[in-house]
Amino acid sequence: MSDFLLTQIINYGEPILGAIVFIGAIGAPFPATLIVIAVGAFCRQGLLTWYTTGLIALVCVVLGDSLSYGMGYFAREPILRRFQGSERWMQAESTFNRWGGMSVFWTRFLITGIAVPVNLIAGTSDFRFRRFLIYDFFGEAIWIFGYGGLGYLFGTQWEVVSDVLSNLSGLTLGFVILAIGIWLGIRRLKKNSATADSA
Amino acid sequence: MTPARQRVLTIGLIVVGILIIGFFGLRTLRAFREFRGHRPPPFSPAEAQQVETDVELIRDWMTIPFISKMYHVPPHVLFEALNIPPEGNQEKSLNDLNREYYPKENGIVLEKVKAAVLANQPQQIPTARSAPTFPPPAP
Repeated sequence: MSDFLLTQIINYGEPILGAIVFIGAIGAPFPATLIVIAVGAFCRQGLLTWYTTGLIALVCVVLGDSLSYGMGYFAREPILRRFQGSERWMQAESTFNRWGGMSVFWTRFLITGIAVPVNLIAGTSDFRFRRFLIYDFFGEAIWIFGYGGLGYLFGTQWEVVSDVLSNLSGLTLGFVILAIGIWLGIRRLKKNSATADSA
Repeated sequence: MTPARQRVLTIGLIVVGILIIGFFGLRTLRAFREFRGHRPPPFSPAEAQQVETDVELIRDWMTIPFISKMYHVPPHVLFEALNIPPEGNQEKSLNDLNREYYPKENGIVLEKVKAAVLANQPQQIPTARSAPTFPPPAP
């Protein structure tokens, strides 16, 4: 898949890159981070212009994220019909409102594997679109210009950088899952000891 | 959620987290070791003019015009080396060309292109750093 996409980018340039990051942002399993780093290297080789490429990619990825936020937003009605008023739903909504901005920001460039679910949850919960857009824009700008910049810096050696970053993203996801598990465990233990004390 | 389900979820998350950390941790370590052996290419204008010479960086997703630009070797030289007409093949990857013109010889196009690039690379212009220095004449 990545080989095919890279060939298309060197043939057709920015429009294909825009399409890839847009479709990736709405959930297609494209190796978008690898593509962004490679495109940085192509800019250094003079194949693409870094500022127009960066701008097109940024606009397209933000549009894609907004669309997946919209999908969550329009799925809100049936979900609310099912869960509205339940204590758990309200708790989940308030948790997302508290931590949602940071979740949107960090999942744009560090834990990219869960970016689409976060968009959908943001749309479904009561998270304001304007807030979403701000965090999304800055997160994606780091992804496009930071990762693309590394590709630019390393030029023809971009594959090594891509390898490190994609593995690092998986490693971070592992730490996040472990942290959630430990947090749930501690919360459960505290609850159990409180129940035992009151009994 | 029942307490039993909560327990399963908690243990499940911890186990999955540890497995992912183990898997990606090893891969990151390996990738990082390889990364440490690489340095970004120089940025000074004189050195930036230098042509890429390492043919091991050629990949089978690349096209002939791309390789031609990267290594400063005219595209017709590469097409001639492959015995392939340029018309209709400019946008095809080396992999596609291999499949189309040499279906029974896997990887032959990549090898031929590497050999043609090596044989036809332009002479490097010496930069200030790499220019030879001569000892001062003896009195």
